[in-house]
Amino acid sequence: MTRSEIVAAVVRSIGEVLQREIPGVTEDTRLFDDLQLDSTSILELLMAVEDTMDVEIDPEGLDMDSFRTVGTLVDYLQGLVDLVATGNAG
Amino acid sequence: MTRESTDYLRRLKTALTGDPATPLAFLCNFEVEAQWARHHVGLPAPAATPTAIVQRMEELGILLAGPGDVLVVKHAPDEGYLRYLEEDLGVGLPAVLVPETTTEDRPTAEDLLNSPRALDRLSLLGRRGARLMPMGTSESEEKLAVSAQVPLAVPDATTFERVNSKIYSRRITEELGLPAVPGWCCESLGELRHALAEAAGAPGAVVVKDAYGVSGKGLVVLDTPAKADRLLRIVERRAARTGDDRLAVVVERWIPKRADLNYQITVDRRGDVRFDFVKQALTERGVHQGHLMPPDLGADQHALLRRAAAEIGGRLAADGFFGVAGIDAIVAEDERVHPVLEINARLNMSTYQGGMTELFHQPGHVALARHYPVRTAAPIVFDDLRRVLGPLLSPAPGGRVVVTCFGTVNAGTANAGTGDGPPYQGRLYTLLTAPDHDRLAALDEAARAALSGVLQPREGS
Repeated sequence: MTRSEIVAAVVRSIGEVLQREIPGVTEDTRLFDDLQLDSTSILELLMAVEDTMDVEIDPEGLDMDSFRTVGTLVDYLQGLVDLVATGNAG
Repeated sequence: MTRESTDYLRRLKTALTGDPATPLAFLCNFEVEAQWARHHVGLPAPAATPTAIVQRMEELGILLAGPGDVLVVKHAPDEGYLRYLEEDLGVGLPAVLVPETTTEDRPTAEDLLNSPRALDRLSLLGRRGARLMPMGTSESEEKLAVSAQVPLAVPDATTFERVNSKIYSRRITEELGLPAVPGWCCESLGELRHALAEAAGAPGAVVVKDAYGVSGKGLVVLDTPAKADRLLRIVERRAARTGDDRLAVVVERWIPKRADLNYQITVDRRGDVRFDFVKQALTERGVHQGHLMPPDLGADQHALLRRAAAEIGGRLAADGFFGVAGIDAIVAEDERVHPVLEINARLNMSTYQGGMTELFHQPGHVALARHYPVRTAAPIVFDDLRRVLGPLLSPAPGGRVVVTCFGTVNAGTANAGTGDGPPYQGRLYTLLTAPDHDRLAALDEAARAALSGVLQPREGS
């Protein structure tokens, strides 16, 4: 999965959580300040990303820093995808 | 101009210590729920540390405490803000104690335990009869009470933790025969699986909440079967990984509501219960935004809340609790009142407003306690804010704005780039009072407009 595909998956998942279109999102877009996601949305967002990307995420393996921007969340997911690709996911 | 304690504070002291003049050392440990939560397995969630805003909210205690008391805070309040409270508002202020060694990511009680000079000062107050008054007691405040030899004015950590679980709230609501929100208590993965399966048998969303969820966190709304499956899958995976299937959550039907309510009781040491007030709580996605006073309730609705307050207070007393408890309730769209969504047997946001509403909310008028999100390019001082709000801070026929916490304004800049959580904005806490709802709305709009004129979003961050 390429980085731009992961960005697209994250944007689609955020749209699902917020139940609205979110045009103009870049990797610098801030999840809390710019998109008005809040702390109650985080688990729902991760659940949506799991389904969209067909990956398994351990929410307790993340810290809040990964939720700063679209890009920081994509960084985490990119690492996850790379681990799976090299067979070291377990 | 007044320099006396409010009646509200004197009543609180009488309930907790038997004497309206007992000096209290206030420690507004907003992170206490996170301390209790550490002993319980909730919904899977990223590791969170207290944000700068939560840390700075301890300054709210300055308006609850009075002359003769002391407020312990990590950061000394702004001098201009103290002058405003004392000279403009005529509020009697407590002394302020700042530990000489502070660390942002630990409870202020732990700061004190590592600050010999501040600890000595607290011990001296203890010898003069002061009692330690935390927002709620955890192990840190217990250690502090022992170390400083200042007895707690409130119960121990075990009692607080027991009565602050949402599972406890649900169980006693049902046992007392109060109209509970339909739902389930889940103490294992199997019980969650069972609850979600039963919930799927009827239409409508459910909300799953951590038994020890911090305000606005630890909850997820499941409005489709797919989301319920996703949640179960994540919880099952964790249980398989850890070999631990314990859980502490409640599952409740999502009730379409007209209004959220918050009412407060004080249980004294003899078990007598006082109904302090009821307010309309303004929330967004479960996150507290403010309180509107008085709430729009009929006589029957008031009566039900008072009955619930008496029953719950009696039960809390029987279970060893005394002190302040805030209870969240809702008025459904069909006007039915569900008097217990959760019991927060600790100081609540509205607790801190009690003294200010006594001084500034005139009978027959309306009041709104709310915060405004603000971002400043650099830290500001209170006098900057005073210039921004200008005449809104003075009494006028259209109402006035009272600033109830200033320290949180600069929290946004403190949080930026620290990596300790999402980059929350700063907040300005206020109490707005006006003769009627129209003028209250106009005052709110004027405050918002004034703030947006100067407190601009950070450029390029």
